[in-house]
Amino acid sequence: MANAMTAATPSAPQGNLRSAGAGDTLFKGLCFSAAMLLMLTLVGLIVSLVIGGWPAISHFGFKFLTSSAWDPVTDEYGAAGPVVGTLVTAFMAMVMALPLAFGIAVFLVEFCPKRIANWVSTAVELLAGIPSIVYGMWGLFVLAPWFAEHVQMPIIMNLDPESFWGKVLYGVPNGANIFTASLILAVMVLPYIATVLRELLLTVPPHVREAAYGMGCTPFEVVRAIMLPTVGRSAIGAVMLGLGRALGETMAVTFIIGNSHAFPDSLFASGSTIASTIANEFTEATGELHISALIALGLVLFAITFTTLAAARLLIGREQH
Amino acid sequence: MNFDASQADTKSVIVPPPVEDRVIDVRGLDFFYGKNQALFGVELPVARHKITALIGPSGCGKSTLLRTLNKIYDLYPGQRAEGEILLNGENVLAARDTAKLRADVGMVFQRPTPFPMSIYENIAFGVRLHRNVSKADMDVIVERSLTRAALWDEVKDKLDKSGTSLSGGQQQRLCVARGIAVEPEVLLLDEPASALDPLSTAKLETALMELKDSFTIVIVTHNLQQAARISDYTGFMLLGKMVEFRPSSEAFVKPETAAMRDYVTGRYG
Repeated sequence: MANAMTAATPSAPQGNLRSAGAGDTLFKGLCFSAAMLLMLTLVGLIVSLVIGGWPAISHFGFKFLTSSAWDPVTDEYGAAGPVVGTLVTAFMAMVMALPLAFGIAVFLVEFCPKRIANWVSTAVELLAGIPSIVYGMWGLFVLAPWFAEHVQMPIIMNLDPESFWGKVLYGVPNGANIFTASLILAVMVLPYIATVLRELLLTVPPHVREAAYGMGCTPFEVVRAIMLPTVGRSAIGAVMLGLGRALGETMAVTFIIGNSHAFPDSLFASGSTIASTIANEFTEATGELHISALIALGLVLFAITFTTLAAARLLIGREQH
Repeated sequence: MNFDASQADTKSVIVPPPVEDRVIDVRGLDFFYGKNQALFGVELPVARHKITALIGPSGCGKSTLLRTLNKIYDLYPGQRAEGEILLNGENVLAARDTAKLRADVGMVFQRPTPFPMSIYENIAFGVRLHRNVSKADMDVIVERSLTRAALWDEVKDKLDKSGTSLSGGQQQRLCVARGIAVEPEVLLLDEPASALDPLSTAKLETALMELKDSFTIVIVTHNLQQAARISDYTGFMLLGKMVEFRPSSEAFVKPETAAMRDYVTGRYG
């Protein structure tokens, strides 16, 4: 090492200077342009969303977000239904997926024999690759009818519609509602979260794990007291990744959410998300205000996902210092 | 590493401590990593309240031997031990309750392994695993453990700081404190000073010398001076066999086997 350095020293400065002249500048320039191109695309996207959505935003003002009246016939557009639908389905999906993903990750890292673990985690990763339209079709043709017959019907038959649970679980028994949409979303985000959590748990140094067992910890205590705190806030990144996907998922949700613009008033009510509304209506939107309202919806979705990811960045960033 | 096969076959020389002094008695221990045998009929008598050092070239099996004493190898499928490891007369290898065993036989690893929690909690955590202790008692235990590990003065004002914020040497002494806080009978140390600077090493050695009044210590080390300085008994291993085991005062002055003579005079290893 030392020899190589002394041998290279005499000619090194000249060589560096020469390459800095032409090739290096060109290379730096190319890298810079690549980065700038991405930034410009992002800025351009935001600007065009704002311009396209402006007529609707200026026409309805803040009511665009608070009103739930979405009626192309009267040209009345309030986005509260889809916005709440988006947030609720994504949130419920996370509530369902997170504990499962967690169990999968901990099992694979801590309890499962290595050979099987590698096999299972490959399968989990493959799940992430299934196109969303396949999930959507499965949801519509298999899950929804099953859910209507085996969950919704018994509830309707047996629950007093005036009781608290009767109201929460009220809905047309067709299986297309925000709950089943959340269920599909949960299945879709599960492999993402499980995979990232598993990789995080694998970063816990083996000697720390060994030391904990060496103290007489049980596997549960090792997971709870050593592995989870070590992974710590980085796990939020995994959660946000799943949340980002759940917020923006279009096809699968459009299939099964029921596509009603009304404000969802129960767990089994039909609803819509921002993405499903846009996908459903774009081809039929003729009025200028309608198109503009859809673009404004896109802007709102962009703002929501951006906020989520930024919040995740902040939390993870703080962890590293 | 060059060695003469005939040396490895030379008859081993074992001068054990008296039977009544032995806390641990390893007899005819074979160890396997899957199909590979790593230990061959190893004998290791460990005397109470003494420091026993295990030395030998890399790969000789000394760490493997140490890891059998608290069955930590048990975490890895495919690793298995055959023979007898008696802890106060009971065979460790047959023990079902590894948590209890590991409370009795603590371990400090080569690399410092502070847990992701405060200095105070690093110690309290292990204690709580095995006993219910009041806050006041815990304070006493934490202070005493840190004092005995020669760390108290350096950390007494920042017990709520993360254990990982300490320097490497401090972390290692924290691990020692954590190990002795549960009051084990035996403390195993696997090259505890190999990642430490000379000053930290000296502090660690001082702490160990004090600790042997209360604990039985088995230490694996590459540092022959360290073994000679602090240990009462020394076991020299080669190719998975215990070649020479004698009181350190004799073993380093006049090794009996050719293999150990070569090793301590620096001919190989």
